[in-house]
Amino acid sequence: MGDPVTDYTARLQQQEREIQSLSAEIESLKNPQDLSSSPRLDELREENAKLKYRLNILKRSLQEERTYCSKSMMNINQRLQEVFGEAIRASCPELDNPPLAVTPNQQAKFGDYQCNSAMAMAQMLKAKGIKVNPREIAEKIVQNLPDNELTQKTEIAGPGFINIHLKRSFVSKLLSNLLINGVQPPPLASKKRVVVDFSSPNIAKEMHVGHLRSTIIGESMSRLFEFLGHDVLRLNHVGDWGTQFGMLIAHLQDKFPDYLTVSPPISDLQAFYKESKKRFDEEEDFKKRAYQCVVRLQSKEPDFIKAWNLICDVSRREFQKVYDCLDIQIIERGESFYQEMMTEVVKEFEEKGLLQLDEGRKVVFVPGQPIPLTVVKSDGGYTYDTSDLAAIRQRIFDEKADVIIYVTDSGQGTHFQVVFAAAQMIGWYDPQVTRVEHAGFGVVLGEDKKKFKTRSGDTVRLMDLLEEGLKRSMDKLKEKERDKVLSQEELIKAQRSVAFGCIKYADLSHNRINDYVFSFDKMLDDRGNTAAYLLYAFTRIRSIARLANIDEATLRKAAETTEVILDHDKEWKLGKCILRFPEILQKILDDLLLHTLCDYLYELATTFTEFYDSCYCVEKDRQTGEVVKVNMWRMLLCEATAAVMAKGFDILGINPVQRM
Amino acid sequence: MADTLTLFTSIGLSEQKAKETMKNEALSSALKEAVTQAQRVHGASGVDKAMGTLLYNMASRLKDAKRLAFLADSIVQRKICTELQLAAALDFVKSHPQDPINQKEFEEACGVGVVITPEQIEDAVESVIKKHKEQLLKERYHFNMGLLMGEARSALKWADGKVIKNEVDMQVLHLLGPKTEADLEKKPKVKVADNKVSTGEVKSLMEQLRGEALKFHKPGENFKTEGYVVTPNTMSLLKKHLDLTGGQIRTRFPPEPNGILHIGHAKAINFNFGYAKANNGICFLRYDDTNPEKEEEKYFTAIKDMVEWLGYKPYAVTHASDNFQQLYDLAVDLIRRGHAYVCHQRGEELKGHNAPPSPWRDRPIEESLVLFERMKKGLFAEGEATLRMKMVMEDGKMDPVAYRIKYTPHHRTGDEWCIYPTYDYTHCLCDSIENITHSLCTKEFQARRSSYYWLCNALDVYCPVQWEYGRLNLTYTVVSKRKIIKLVETGVVRDWDDPRLFTLTALRRRGFPPEAINNFCARVGVTVSQTTTEPHLLESCVRDVLNDTAPRAMAVLEPLKVTITNLPEDSQVYVRVPDFPANEAKGSHMVPFTCTIFIEQSDFREVMEKGYKRLTPEQPVGLRHAGYVISVQKVIKDAQGNVVELEVNCCRSETAEKPKAFIHWVSKPLTCEVRLYERLFLHKHPEDPSEVPNGFLSDINPNSLQVISSALVDTSVKGAKVFDKFQFERVGYFSLDPDSTADKLIFNRTVTLKEDPGKI
Repeated sequence: MGDPVTDYTARLQQQEREIQSLSAEIESLKNPQDLSSSPRLDELREENAKLKYRLNILKRSLQEERTYCSKSMMNINQRLQEVFGEAIRASCPELDNPPLAVTPNQQAKFGDYQCNSAMAMAQMLKAKGIKVNPREIAEKIVQNLPDNELTQKTEIAGPGFINIHLKRSFVSKLLSNLLINGVQPPPLASKKRVVVDFSSPNIAKEMHVGHLRSTIIGESMSRLFEFLGHDVLRLNHVGDWGTQFGMLIAHLQDKFPDYLTVSPPISDLQAFYKESKKRFDEEEDFKKRAYQCVVRLQSKEPDFIKAWNLICDVSRREFQKVYDCLDIQIIERGESFYQEMMTEVVKEFEEKGLLQLDEGRKVVFVPGQPIPLTVVKSDGGYTYDTSDLAAIRQRIFDEKADVIIYVTDSGQGTHFQVVFAAAQMIGWYDPQVTRVEHAGFGVVLGEDKKKFKTRSGDTVRLMDLLEEGLKRSMDKLKEKERDKVLSQEELIKAQRSVAFGCIKYADLSHNRINDYVFSFDKMLDDRGNTAAYLLYAFTRIRSIARLANIDEATLRKAAETTEVILDHDKEWKLGKCILRFPEILQKILDDLLLHTLCDYLYELATTFTEFYDSCYCVEKDRQTGEVVKVNMWRMLLCEATAAVMAKGFDILGINPVQRM
Repeated sequence: MADTLTLFTSIGLSEQKAKETMKNEALSSALKEAVTQAQRVHGASGVDKAMGTLLYNMASRLKDAKRLAFLADSIVQRKICTELQLAAALDFVKSHPQDPINQKEFEEACGVGVVITPEQIEDAVESVIKKHKEQLLKERYHFNMGLLMGEARSALKWADGKVIKNEVDMQVLHLLGPKTEADLEKKPKVKVADNKVSTGEVKSLMEQLRGEALKFHKPGENFKTEGYVVTPNTMSLLKKHLDLTGGQIRTRFPPEPNGILHIGHAKAINFNFGYAKANNGICFLRYDDTNPEKEEEKYFTAIKDMVEWLGYKPYAVTHASDNFQQLYDLAVDLIRRGHAYVCHQRGEELKGHNAPPSPWRDRPIEESLVLFERMKKGLFAEGEATLRMKMVMEDGKMDPVAYRIKYTPHHRTGDEWCIYPTYDYTHCLCDSIENITHSLCTKEFQARRSSYYWLCNALDVYCPVQWEYGRLNLTYTVVSKRKIIKLVETGVVRDWDDPRLFTLTALRRRGFPPEAINNFCARVGVTVSQTTTEPHLLESCVRDVLNDTAPRAMAVLEPLKVTITNLPEDSQVYVRVPDFPANEAKGSHMVPFTCTIFIEQSDFREVMEKGYKRLTPEQPVGLRHAGYVISVQKVIKDAQGNVVELEVNCCRSETAEKPKAFIHWVSKPLTCEVRLYERLFLHKHPEDPSEVPNGFLSDINPNSLQVISSALVDTSVKGAKVFDKFQFERVGYFSLDPDSTADKLIFNRTVTLKEDPGKI
């Protein structure tokens, strides 16, 4: 044993040396002089510098385009998200994906919008072991706010809310732009091909209220996508194929032997169907013949195709009546269209080894899905599963769809989830790239909260329903003595507008996922969130300018020359509300819930009423009723409100009238 | 063929002349048209020789073909009958390029219908002779008769010159009688003892550039220049231009800020700044900074320094980049007018001759507008799109590029732009924006003149006139930026301002005075032809200036110690040396003189040689300025037998026999470094592969730089500042190098005293 002091000293010195050599190494690693820069590295560096430069230019161009150059309406919320997103990232670089929450404020005293990210960020930091007061984070965010065109000031409130006040001049400018350019969609990042599959009734069967929902919602969605600038294909996936056509054709041949030359007068296809069904069930011969007919139809024998077409045409005419009433645009592309493709689909699944035999059926199991898809029945026939697979494949590859939306009742939700999962499994689409969605909806209930039926218990025929709507709408108009004010032509127009508008609006204004109660009394009420109320409100706004004798040209000119003043609280509230239109549309685009648009229009109408009640647009002499003064900027606010409402109606498929 | 010949001879041309005319296609077709027009009026043989000659002269001198019919008509109708009228007519159409021609003004200007009677001529000549009678009688026929005719003619503008001459001759004869013997004697030439001519055989630059010396157009008369394109808007644009400039001459010196100026630029600077200065105009210094990749701050300041060093002050310093927004707006306008389109051909496809025409040439205007905006917004990668102008250049190049994409920040505009305009697009428009009257450039740009005019006219903006002058080339050097970089990189020269180079900074460092460079430019002249000049011409200009400006000093480059034995060891006197011996009034300085002095080794020889006039053991020599003559007493040698010191006797020069030569010397000197230069290249044209097959780098003169680290210089240079210049007696002109420190001065030899040094 040596002297421990010497011992320790030696060890200490040894350690000192090691520390020194390690520090030296660290230093040398910190300043890597030896890393000789290869020409390739230089090239890459230069390329990188150029790319960064370009990125900067592109970002700036994008912003310019949004702010100045385009006629598009600006999505204020989105712009605020960008501005705050930048500030949030700058103030908290340690968080990879900091939450971004900017929402409009309902209470004026808290500003116009608010950013609530600070609290969530504090939580995230806490999870990382860093304790920061959310107020501090909020302060940092405010400090890091980039220069921007839209915020006037911000305040931090409560635990860390940031209240955002918009610049009045900015809002005013946006309103002027809106008036000059009209209601234009927000800028389109990329134009997409959108397929909307809706309505889809069955040939030889009656359309019912379920089809009504699909038709109304699908049409409105299509209109929304079109307004936003996308390329929309509306498809009517009618049920026009299957064994039932065998018996229909057999019956047709018996009843109208000369059907090839003389068009058979079938007015009630429903009855015709019943007759043939009866024979099918009762007559063995007929049944046999019906099967033969199926085979001959499937082998495309001309006479049979002709018979099939005749039957389909009868249904088509019926459907079209409904579509005409509701102003629906749609292309028929029924199950028959996919017949040939189904063989291909089965082959493809087979080749990829995704088919399994199950008691003579060929089925596809999709991981994570409880039920398999049956693509070939034990008799060798195909199913809805097969045709839906063929359809999705055709829509992805032939139609080059970026977005496919199926509007059917929620009961089919599970079925479509399996179809979508199978299509992804076989590699037809990547959900990151292609958006395929089932927009399901709840059932229509009667006022008794039970399934919607006639008094006699039958399903309600759609045409009957629409006709009743027309009748009730006329009753209402007469009740209000509008028939004494309007011309006959105007009256009819108003009748249709109100009747069909109310049916559609009643449907669209409810969250589509829920069941909804069908009630003519409620939908025709001119108080509350109904089409009747909105249509009245709209015509009233339109009449303000008319009654002040201001024509459209004057308004157009004023839009360019008159600043929209927003000093009054109600003016300010209305102005902001008008400009929320783009963010409402953006939200619907994300969740496909159209009732948000109805809620917004209702809010706009009530906000307008508040404005109109407290701000004179036209000042009249109390005695003579003569116009003394026109507050043009307020006329412009009326005009902007009306323009946005009109566009909203258009998307909902409602036809407003000038007078009602 | 034969028909044309007959046609031409029918108006009185000789057959030979007619044939010659036919060789010139343009002239031939013009003349044909004119003659045909004449014959329609006067019949196939009705065009007489006088009219024919007028037609011929008109056709050959007319620049603007659209006036041919009009002038031919005037001749045919005998409105224009004389050469004088024709000249006036041609002048008139030149100054009135726009339709319509005011017939009345035209006829007035050409003296149409003016009839001069013989009596009028007689009277006019009589009054002129009366005026000069006294002088005439004195000088008789030695009198300048031209003067009489000139005056008579100006009195009668449209009179026939011949008739006037006859009249003058007659009246003079009448006055003086026939010539006598004395009259026939040649008048003795008066010796012109004009100082100007003897001191400088060339006119000063300002004189060369002043007034009409250059045949340049007057401001606002752009259209009078040959080749200038007149459009329907030209006249109103010129008027606006004149209103703005007040008729002032405006030029610009437009260097690209991507390198150092060289001697060639000195000419451009002198020409542009000089022309403006000589004519009370203004000159801009405009940096042509459209290419972001090449620009560096140091070049900007260096260029301005050099301009100022040469003695010029820019009216304003501008940048092409100041106009980026305006240029962009003009480009959009150009597309709208259908004169430009966005093209996607790759750079490689357009290289070389016969590049395929662009398939995008005829794309719709709207499309180009959108795409051009997208270029600006960064939607294309570099090289994916360019904006091209729809025009063919003189050299056949199709559709030059106006804008290209570069994701590079710009020295002045930062990250604002990612499209940058080209020279072809920018240059003329910046000239136009600055209302330049004379856009002076070297001859290489002649090929771009038409694109210059085309672009201004395509946009309906004021169009300056481009004038070309010959580029200045020097032998025994290279000036291109790339080559100089090579020289610097390979260590042949120290830097851009190495005194062996001909960059302006190098010349300054070497000690060339700016006046000398300007004089040199004047000597080379402002001719249009390309001039290749040898450096010795420049050097001689340098000597001319330094002779009068660089004070004398004495320096010994290779010293030999000399001890004067018959002076006391501690004796020290000061000797007065005039700064300029030729003009002692310009001052003097004192240098010490002690018993130890140093002389050049070459000023002493142990063995006498015939013709050698300086110091030998047998031959004394005088010491400049000291008033002493020394004679060798003892030669001290080292072990190797080299002479290391001399011991001498001195005596006052008044008492001594006049020595054959005087040499320079120093005593108690400063030790300095001296750098001696020779030309950098061995061959006259180092870039010419036939002269130097292995490239200019193989042609370096190994002796181009000689450094003498311990030369001895007299104390008068103490405290000299950088670039101070001296004449070291018998050694050369020197300038203080910026490398000098307080402890050690460094001198560059600017030039030797005489063109060919090395005589013994």
